[in-house]
Amino acid sequence: MVLKSLADLKDIVAGGPKKKLIVAAAQDQHSMAAVVRAWKDNVIEPILVGDKESILNICATNNYDITGVRIIHEPDTDMAVEMSVKMINSRQGDVLMKGKIGTSTLLKAVLNREWGLRTGNLLSHFALFEVETYPKVIAVTDVAMNIAPNLQDKIAIINNSVGCLIKLGYKMPKVAVLGAVEMVNESMEATLHAALLSKMNQRDQIKNCIIDGPLAFDNAVSLESARRKGIRSEVAGDTDLLLMPDIEVGNVLYKSLVFFARAKVAAVILGARVPIVLTSRSDSEQAKYYSILLSAAASK
Amino acid sequence: MVDRVLSRKNKHRIAVAWAQDINTIGAIHRSVKNGLTEAIMIGQTGRINNVCSEHGIDSGLFNIIDSENETDSSEKAVRLVKTGEADIVMKGLVGTDKFLKAVMDKDHGLMLPDAVLSYVGAIEIPAYHKLLFITDPAVIPYPDLRQKTAMAGYAISMVKKFGIDNPKIALIGASEKMSTHFPYSADYAEMKRMAEQGHFGSCIMDGPLDLFLACDAKSVEIKGVRTPVDGDADILLFPSLESCNPFYKALMLFADSELGGLIMGTSKPVILMSRSESEKSKYYCIALSCLMA
Repeated sequence: MVLKSLADLKDIVAGGPKKKLIVAAAQDQHSMAAVVRAWKDNVIEPILVGDKESILNICATNNYDITGVRIIHEPDTDMAVEMSVKMINSRQGDVLMKGKIGTSTLLKAVLNREWGLRTGNLLSHFALFEVETYPKVIAVTDVAMNIAPNLQDKIAIINNSVGCLIKLGYKMPKVAVLGAVEMVNESMEATLHAALLSKMNQRDQIKNCIIDGPLAFDNAVSLESARRKGIRSEVAGDTDLLLMPDIEVGNVLYKSLVFFARAKVAAVILGARVPIVLTSRSDSEQAKYYSILLSAAASK
Repeated sequence: MVDRVLSRKNKHRIAVAWAQDINTIGAIHRSVKNGLTEAIMIGQTGRINNVCSEHGIDSGLFNIIDSENETDSSEKAVRLVKTGEADIVMKGLVGTDKFLKAVMDKDHGLMLPDAVLSYVGAIEIPAYHKLLFITDPAVIPYPDLRQKTAMAGYAISMVKKFGIDNPKIALIGASEKMSTHFPYSADYAEMKRMAEQGHFGSCIMDGPLDLFLACDAKSVEIKGVRTPVDGDADILLFPSLESCNPFYKALMLFADSELGGLIMGTSKPVILMSRSESEKSKYYCIALSCLMA
């Protein structure tokens, strides 16, 4: 099965047991709207950890009726984050979401050696985009977390992402390793990585997916472009997951899809004990809502 | 852009290396018919005639020079420009490396002494309020300071041909914050200082800026970052080919955009486009080259 639109996420989540979403420092205007919407849709059960008075104020101001939602009062944000993470560890929650705290504060807690959510895997960012002109949802990684991943990191990023796609219902997702060109060029390290990753996939060192690269963006997503260049590839034109060479490339691509191509987007941090919703202020409410759904689906 | 070229009246002669595919021939045909250019097609005569007749194009509109392979056709096309028999050289179905080798040849090529060879593109994006110029999506993988400086200069010179006297240039990064994690930070700081000293002539330069701060005034407001580019960039300078290349390709495939672009740093305009580019994009490139010729 392949996602045609981000709205499909709702069906996936609705089809499974209801997930508990723990929001750390939940007194956050920007997150609450999306949390409340997902709760009203009856697809997640939120647990709000934070300053109870502020949370209730935000809800009152915006006319959110959250009667029945569990609120754990902890006015200190650092303590609220620690408590949220510890609740995940004691299996009281399935997904962690960032509220009114800095990204680095949350990640520090997630990576805490005593009580954090480390699994030994690399943390990576995974995003789904819905653009009008591509026939299915396209996953992109890593546009926000790992700055300049080495080969080992890229393997971990692929494994995180493929694991997530499989939880969404994919079988053998097609992974394109992005380059500026489709030829291996020794002066561009990303193309060398791409060739190695493809071969490692053929040798079953990276499983459960079909990897090809380097592929330039047009060949990855357009069969016509690939044909015109005479590229023979199982992945070209039919990519499910696009692996970025580094954060510079990923960041620009992500922002151009959102801003110029009006893409719908959902994103999650993978590699910790549970999926983490880590949206930023400038994300739309819709993006936050879809990110909650994606994370819930990924926590299966 | 096309209007601007047509208003200039004088017709340029364009030499096309390995002009054997319909996208290239179609674009040339359109520019000849519309009175932008005269064309010299270099390639296998039989093949060119076949493609023309398959698509109902009158091959009599072009001068055709016979050539048996990609390298030979590239050399012939470059030589025509070098000797003044043509004004513009264009890549057809030949691979970029073979074509550029002919352009860059020390004795017979079109390189200016000590010039940096780079690429500037102009993209028309429906979701953006004006033409956006980008560099470098095609030639320099990881530009150093000297190369970035040259790229900025080329882009500015092209933008000024469009009547924009004080262009806004965003030096693109993953974030607006300076960081030792990002090797471009130091170069950008240096370039901003050069801009203040007037090195680039009249322009407004700032960076690092992410794409939102460069192109979206609303994001500038939300983030509260003060930048003179102010979400209204004319030019985006990218830190690498790797980031610029997928940027424009994503726009073309997913945001309904069209690109025209040129090689810069040569004595005469050089049109180089991906073989998979559409006829329309190739046509815009031809128009752009006429403007710069």
